[in-house]
Amino acid sequence: MPNISIRLRLIFLSALLLAILAGSSALLIRELVRDSQSLAEEAGLVSVVRNANSASKHFGDLKYWAIDSAVTQLVSSQQAAELAKAALASDLQAISAVDPAVVAAIRAEVETMTKLARQAAVAYSSDDSAAGNALLARAKSYIMAIDDRLERIVERIEQQALARRDASTRQAELAVKLAIAGGIGALALAFGFTALTVRSITVPLKQLDRGIASITHGELKVAMSPSGVPEIAAMTRTLGMLRDSLIERDRLERERQSAEMETRTARDAAEAALHDLKAAQTSLIQAEKMASLGQLTAGIAHEIKNPLNFVNNFASLSVGLLEELTAAVEPGLRSLHESRRREVGEASDMLVGNLQRIIEHGRRADNIVKSMLAHSRSGGADRETVDLNALVDESLNLAYHGARAQDQNFNVTIERDYDEHVAPIALVPQDVTRVLLNLYGNAFYATNKRRRETNSGEYRPTLTVTTRDLGKAVEVRVRDNGGGIPPEIRNKLFQPFFTTKPTGEGTGLGLSISYEIVTKQHRGTIEVSSAIGEFTEFTVCLPRGLEPKDTPNASA
Amino acid sequence: MPVSILVVDDEPDVAVLFRQQFRRETREGAYVLHFAFSASEALERLADEIEPEPIVILSDINMPGMDGLALLREIKKARPELPVMMLTAYGDDERRRRAFESGAADFLAKPVDFDVLKGRLRQLHTSSI
Repeated sequence: MPNISIRLRLIFLSALLLAILAGSSALLIRELVRDSQSLAEEAGLVSVVRNANSASKHFGDLKYWAIDSAVTQLVSSQQAAELAKAALASDLQAISAVDPAVVAAIRAEVETMTKLARQAAVAYSSDDSAAGNALLARAKSYIMAIDDRLERIVERIEQQALARRDASTRQAELAVKLAIAGGIGALALAFGFTALTVRSITVPLKQLDRGIASITHGELKVAMSPSGVPEIAAMTRTLGMLRDSLIERDRLERERQSAEMETRTARDAAEAALHDLKAAQTSLIQAEKMASLGQLTAGIAHEIKNPLNFVNNFASLSVGLLEELTAAVEPGLRSLHESRRREVGEASDMLVGNLQRIIEHGRRADNIVKSMLAHSRSGGADRETVDLNALVDESLNLAYHGARAQDQNFNVTIERDYDEHVAPIALVPQDVTRVLLNLYGNAFYATNKRRRETNSGEYRPTLTVTTRDLGKAVEVRVRDNGGGIPPEIRNKLFQPFFTTKPTGEGTGLGLSISYEIVTKQHRGTIEVSSAIGEFTEFTVCLPRGLEPKDTPNASA
Repeated sequence: MPVSILVVDDEPDVAVLFRQQFRRETREGAYVLHFAFSASEALERLADEIEPEPIVILSDINMPGMDGLALLREIKKARPELPVMMLTAYGDDERRRRAFESGAADFLAKPVDFDVLKGRLRQLHTSSI
């Protein structure tokens, strides 16, 4: 049933069911009518049989009373005979329809028989017995004929009635069978058509339902087969559009997500790049600052160095000149007065002492200037391939004994954690030693300071020196358990002249020179981590790959 | 024959210092000191053929105008046989290397150790005779 709407299908089904109902009802009515007709016919036949039997009985009355009246001549017999004849006539009239010819013959013979009986009566009244007997004999022959005819007609009517009854019984049985078969057929037909119609609607509905269910469960790749039912086809199309829009929505969602992911990735990359850039900028600024501070320091040193050279040179010259002067005036002094001579001698001695002090402080200033000038060197010193652990340990012993020599109370527990597998590395031994001496010195200073400040036996000054081979680089860690470095000054540590030590105890150049040596000369890194009241740890990382450098002019 | 030297330095006190340091030697006639306060003055004085002719030139490097290394190259062009010793406060390897490449006879760092300087001068003098 292609392309027929559900409404039309239902109308069609209803009409079909009504037709089946009407058909089966008509069939039943027809059979009932036929049954009632045959029953009526049966009833008619029963009355005919009764009339026929009544006719036989009335004829018996008639023949008796006719013969009796003929013999007795009684008026009552005559009247009884007339009554019987009249009743017989009405009975014959009732059954005349069964066989009109026979009934007419019977009527004629009855008339003849009664006429003969009346003639016999006339004969007997006139005492003509012979004539009367002859007439009665003739009448009796008619009576026998009529009896015979009546008997046959009654028999025939009874046979007809029997046949009629059998026929109507068969008819009723057939009607019952037909009614049952028709009902079953109509039911089967109605059921079949109903099932077909329902199926033609439910099959595409079920397909649609499966489609809806799978779309509800997110399975969008379901096939949408077009239905023959227009309403369901419309729903299927709508569902297909919904599915397509869902697919489109999913696609857009995926695109949005992937775009979002790309955006996020790009943003993360940008942020990481920005972070790296900031870190690079910070370290660049730090390096630039350190470099310019180093240049400034070296520049200041040069500017000071020249006049300082004159101070030192002229001071030493003056010592010689003074000696010459003293020797030259020696003879003249003798002629002077005792007290004047002593005055001249004292002045001369003070002059010599002053010159010595100038020379001494000049030398001290010169040492500071030389330290400052260390900033301006560009890795010119000789690189050598050395055993790092040996270098670290030698400088550690040097620093320890130096500190012990300066302060009798100084003590520190030294923990050595050397990586035995550190391969030899090319570096400038005297400069790296300088860095290490600086770090050890600072560590000793920090632990000593804390020991003096805590002033209790609980504090145990400890210096831990660690070496590690990192493959492409080596690492030296110098860790003390001193007072720590406050965070706000950590970024100033490597600046020239920055010091926390009292005036005269530190120049503030140690770490700045160490920074130059590690970062510039050795292309390494030096980092500090610290926690107040816990520790300070400097980590020096020196990369490998710097070959021992040939400096042909160094010996010239 | 006294040892004649030409000292080139923009600092006037260098002349004072050298005169005092070589006071005894100049008094005895062993040394004759000439001074120039710039590279161009040094070149002029060399062209004037000062007497006695210097057997060595001592030059600073950092000077206004023509610097000591340029002066060294100029002298080496005109008088390749005349030794030039560089004296400088900048004792770094780069200058040292460039000085020797340009033909410097020696390279001494300031402050000048006059005992060392006198020893070097004696060596040059004996080898020049």
